[in-house]
Amino acid sequence: MLIQSAAKTLYFGSLLRKMSRVFSMISYMNSVSNWVIWRGSPRMSPLLNPLPAGLTYILAAGKKDLMDLPVLNEDDLEEQFVRGTGPGGQATNKTSNCVVLRHIPTGIVVKCHQTRSVDINRKRARDIMREKLDVAYKGELSEVIIKKKESVLRKQEKRRKANENLERKKQFKEVLAADLNPEKDTA
Amino acid sequence: METVLLCCKTVGTDSVFTETMWRRSVGAAHTWFGCRSAGPKRIWGPHAVRTCSTPALPPGRITALQAVDLWRRHFEERGVTEPGHSSRYIIAHLLGAKTVESLEHGKLTEFLSQEKTEQMWRLCTRRLSRMPVQYVIEEWDFRDLTLKMRPPVFIPRPETEELVELVLRDLMKNPGTGGDSQHACLEVGCGSGAISLSLLKSLPQLKVIALDQSQAAVDLTVENALRLGLQDRLQVYHIDVMKDAETVLSLCRHVSVLVSNPPYLFSEDVVSLEPEVLRWIHGVIILSAAPRFEDHSALDGGEDGLNVIRQILTLAPHILSNHGRVYLEVDPRHPVLIRPWVEAHVEGLHYVATQHDFTGRPRFCILQKEKSHKDRELYLGLRN
Ligand SMILES: C[S@@+](CC[C@H](N)C(=O)[O-])C[C@H]1O[C@@H](n2cnc3c(N)ncnc32)[C@H](O)[C@@H]1O
Repeated sequence: MLIQSAAKTLYFGSLLRKMSRVFSMISYMNSVSNWVIWRGSPRMSPLLNPLPAGLTYILAAGKKDLMDLPVLNEDDLEEQFVRGTGPGGQATNKTSNCVVLRHIPTGIVVKCHQTRSVDINRKRARDIMREKLDVAYKGELSEVIIKKKESVLRKQEKRRKANENLERKKQFKEVLAADLNPEKDTA
Repeated sequence: METVLLCCKTVGTDSVFTETMWRRSVGAAHTWFGCRSAGPKRIWGPHAVRTCSTPALPPGRITALQAVDLWRRHFEERGVTEPGHSSRYIIAHLLGAKTVESLEHGKLTEFLSQEKTEQMWRLCTRRLSRMPVQYVIEEWDFRDLTLKMRPPVFIPRPETEELVELVLRDLMKNPGTGGDSQHACLEVGCGSGAISLSLLKSLPQLKVIALDQSQAAVDLTVENALRLGLQDRLQVYHIDVMKDAETVLSLCRHVSVLVSNPPYLFSEDVVSLEPEVLRWIHGVIILSAAPRFEDHSALDGGEDGLNVIRQILTLAPHILSNHGRVYLEVDPRHPVLIRPWVEAHVEGLHYVATQHDFTGRPRFCILQKEKSHKDRELYLGLRN
């Protein structure tokens, strides 16, 4: 209890400063209780800060087949975590690792709770954000969309072929059955 | 000198790394719990039954979602923190996933087998005793690693993932000069091995010495290293830096990184922690109204939280190579105290920067060794 109130006063200042910026997010998060907004623009650790372009490029490139996705500017992002009001660090043991990321200029919101690591969820949220921004900026021309369409087509084609095969087998069986049946009958 | 070395075989004076030899077999790493499957039950089973009523097993079949809901409500009624998350992490684990969100579509609405239902009941009953979810499912993620978790070893916090990131950023910017001058790193207080193993995973050239005053921590670090196949570049020692500075100095010279998430809580704050942290970090369940806390050593940093930190900073210039750096996770009240203290008390170490964690708190201190040190011998001379 003591720690909590102390921490609250300690961080209230920074919270207030950010409040106005994150106001619009609150309605979005209405359904989720216990959300605490810590920072308007939390810096992803410098290693992931997209500004040294080369580095993020490599990170993104490895995953997305060299897609030319937009580079994120950390100053355009606001981020939310469910970390409660405690002092954090060693004094707190929270398991909620969901990250909500908002791109302020476009209002696009991405939520990531795929893993149990806050760090990995933050990175994935940024990856997803870059894809969403690409789609938002380029529309149908976005490589994300094109790749997705290609993959849908590939899947359809695969399914079609599988169905054809199945059909062929069925017909083959029918023919076989027709051939065999008379024998059975006479036997 | 009462040195308990986990591995020590001709520790050369000019090379940081010598052959690694585990004194204990991996099997021995399990002994803390006695018989592992029986261990947890023996510790809190009977008490859990008496103090926290467990809902009866359902008579018929139920779906995963129904089980999650039932337990969430029960946790809520019993005042267990994070009722929804707890229940979801446990079911996800039982169904072979990390989170419910990453489960295959439709899995949650399928019926649970009798066996899975019983497992759910068993694990959730443990959570009911306020055992942290990470100990209940016996594993947790730290960055891209999944680590084995076991009381009373400290459960890594997400803030510490950023500490690793800070070290990585510097080491990647400044990879060792030439082929054979690899970077070496010392971690003080390795716990489950999270920091060391994460660094080893990300930097294939790095070598790490990790130490901890807790045997359980040393064992768990070794176990996690073996599971992840990272044991070849790691040495783990059972050493208390407060009591046995000489051994630390004799093991480590010219490392480029000294990283630590040492116990940093102020003693007076330790008593007001949540039950999850209070009971379980120390691995001691409170069975009666009168709390008995036996082992605070993973988080209690003394009156001002700086006991171990001061010791690490005092040793740092004697351990680091020139321009080598110290990376510390600390309490948000610490950076403003550490800077003047180092300036007044530690020659050859200068304060580089304070970094904030993802919640905006001043959480990390970076310091650097300024010049080559002549007084390593002096220090050793004074101590002898
Ligand atoms: C907060 S935990 C950090 C564990 C791990 N590095 C992590 O981040 O998850 C601190 C660790 O330091 C160890 N420790 C505390 N005092 C120590 C000392 N005097 N010498 C060596 N290790 C110590 C504890 O046993 C504990 O494992």
